[in-house]
Parts: sequence; structure tokens; C-alpha cells
Amino acid sequence: MDSFKVIEIKKRVFEDNDRQAALLRTEMRKEQTFLLNLMSSPGSGKTTTVLRTIEALKDEMEIGVLEADIDSAVDAAAVAKTGIKVIQLHTGGMCHLNAVMAKQGLLALGTADLDFVILENVGNLVCPAGFDTGAAKNAMILSVPEGDDKPLKYPAMFALVDLLLINKIDALDYFSFDLAAVQQRAKKLNPQLKIIPISAKTGEGIAEWTDWLRSEVTNWNKK
Amino acid sequence: MHELGVVIEIIKTVEDLARENGLSKIDTLVLQIGELSSIIPHYVEACYPAAVDGTLLQETKLKIEILPGNAICQKCNRVFNLLANNSKCLHCGSESWELLGGKEFMIKEIIAC
Repeated sequence: MDSFKVIEIKKRVFEDNDRQAALLRTEMRKEQTFLLNLMSSPGSGKTTTVLRTIEALKDEMEIGVLEADIDSAVDAAAVAKTGIKVIQLHTGGMCHLNAVMAKQGLLALGTADLDFVILENVGNLVCPAGFDTGAAKNAMILSVPEGDDKPLKYPAMFALVDLLLINKIDALDYFSFDLAAVQQRAKKLNPQLKIIPISAKTGEGIAEWTDWLRSEVTNWNKK
Repeated sequence: MHELGVVIEIIKTVEDLARENGLSKIDTLVLQIGELSSIIPHYVEACYPAAVDGTLLQETKLKIEILPGNAICQKCNRVFNLLANNSKCLHCGSESWELLGGKEFMIKEIIAC
């Protein structure tokens, strides 16, 4: 058996991605562009929330959007109508974005004159939790129809994010969704988590969300 | 779910390493996967043949070592397995513990011939 040679590698598989992500964060800090990674299930109202956010903040800061999907450009088309810069990324079947894809999107978008970029990740509560995109902050949306058990089923995502938006609260009367239980379950996984209930449809809670964003963007972009 | 994309990344890394080390053939690739990582060993094995097709690793065997998801209890200081004990200390039932391992996902080594 001495013709065999064992070569020790001991390399973390996600090491490259983590390094790319850290590099991207440093670059974005230098460029004074705040990158927000927004994650959720499909159909939770991500794009509607993004549209609301643009409407509320576009007069005070330069915003760009990266839309990531497996296919189609429907989300990018909806965002483009607001007149802001948007790029549609196709992950080609992959269920998440990584830092290299995020970087390519940012290059295509051109971030020199942007204060704030929203990265709308692929609709999925599982895989995006495993890949650092290089964002300054991570946020997620859980919508009322999805159910209040989601923090129990997808703990990694809830443990990772800085902020949780609970969307579609205008529909609370129609679903047996225990808002207090969600808050308690999510806080157990992530004691520092900030939680804001919103309705992207009626606009309820949007002011509190944009206040948070405004202070995060200002803080990040400070010289 | 994302195992195929991840395995393709691993193959690229190993191919680079093989070139750096002047290897033309690799007998076995050894991965370490923690019980608490988001990677399912069974899926890695299932998509491996498709991922290595046409690469330097086409004939390479895959070996996976599972690393236990263990924690040390902060009350009684003893070590227990989190999965087998529903995240409660096996000895005293405490839920306050410190993670010792189980989230790893590593390329451990390659066996060249």
C-alpha cells in the first residue's frame, strides 16, 4: 500500500464563500453602500415589501435592487417601474445566492452612486441561511398565512437574521396565527432579533421598518 | 436541496489541489460532515456520480465521515449528543450547554495513488 499517499486538506467547504463575503463587505463599506440581504419563503410578499420600501425612501437616498430567482424577470420588471436601478439575477436552478453571485450582481448594477442596495434572495427558508452573501445586514419576512410554527421548522434562518418582518398582518383575522407565539419562538432562537409586524398592502408598520433601515444605512455609510 | 451545487464546488477545489500537487489520479476523497450541518450525507452520495462525471475525480471513490453533534453541559460539565437527547443534557436534563461540534463540513483529505 505504500504507493498510496494521503494528502491532508482540512479545508472547510464554505471557506471560499466566507472569504469572498468578508471581502465584499469591506468593499461595500468603502463604497458607502449598505447591502441588505432579504430572505423569505416564496409568496411572503418580498417584492411588495421592496416596492413599499422604495416608495418610502427613494426621495432621501439612492437605492438599487438585485432580484434573485431561479428563472423569469417578473420581479425585476415590477421594481423597474419605480424608476430605480434593478438587475435580475438567475441562479440557474440553484436554491440560494452566494457571495460571488452577489458581487457579480453588484458589479452589473454599479454601486458607486448608490447608498442602499436590497438583495432579494431566492424564495426559500432553508438554503440561503447557509451562505453568507456579503450583506451588511440580513433580514427575513414571515407572512401570516405561512403559519406561526415556522421558527420551529426553520430555526437556522431565524437564528441568523438581524431583523424579522411579520407581513400580511392585515390578514390576521382570517388565519389562526399566534403573533405572540412567533415572537417568543423567534426570540428564543435569537435574543437580539428585532421584530416588526407590517402589512406591505396597507402600509401598517412600514414607518418603523424604514426608520430601522434609515438608521442602519446612515450608520454603515458614515465616513 | 443544494447538495449538487456544493459538491461541484468541492470537485473544483479538489481538482485545483490535485494540479498543485501534481496528481493525475485520486483514489479516494474523504469528506467530514457534522450531524448538525445543513448537508445531508445521503444526498451528497446520490449526486456525487453526476458531479464527478468528466472530471479528474471521475474514478475517485467518495468516503464520508459523520462527526457527532456534541455539547458540554454547563451545569454538570458532562458531554452528551444533542440529536439523541433532544438538545437536553443526558445526565441532568439541563438545556444550557455549549456546542462542541457537529456543524462541520470539511474536505478532510484525498488519498492519491
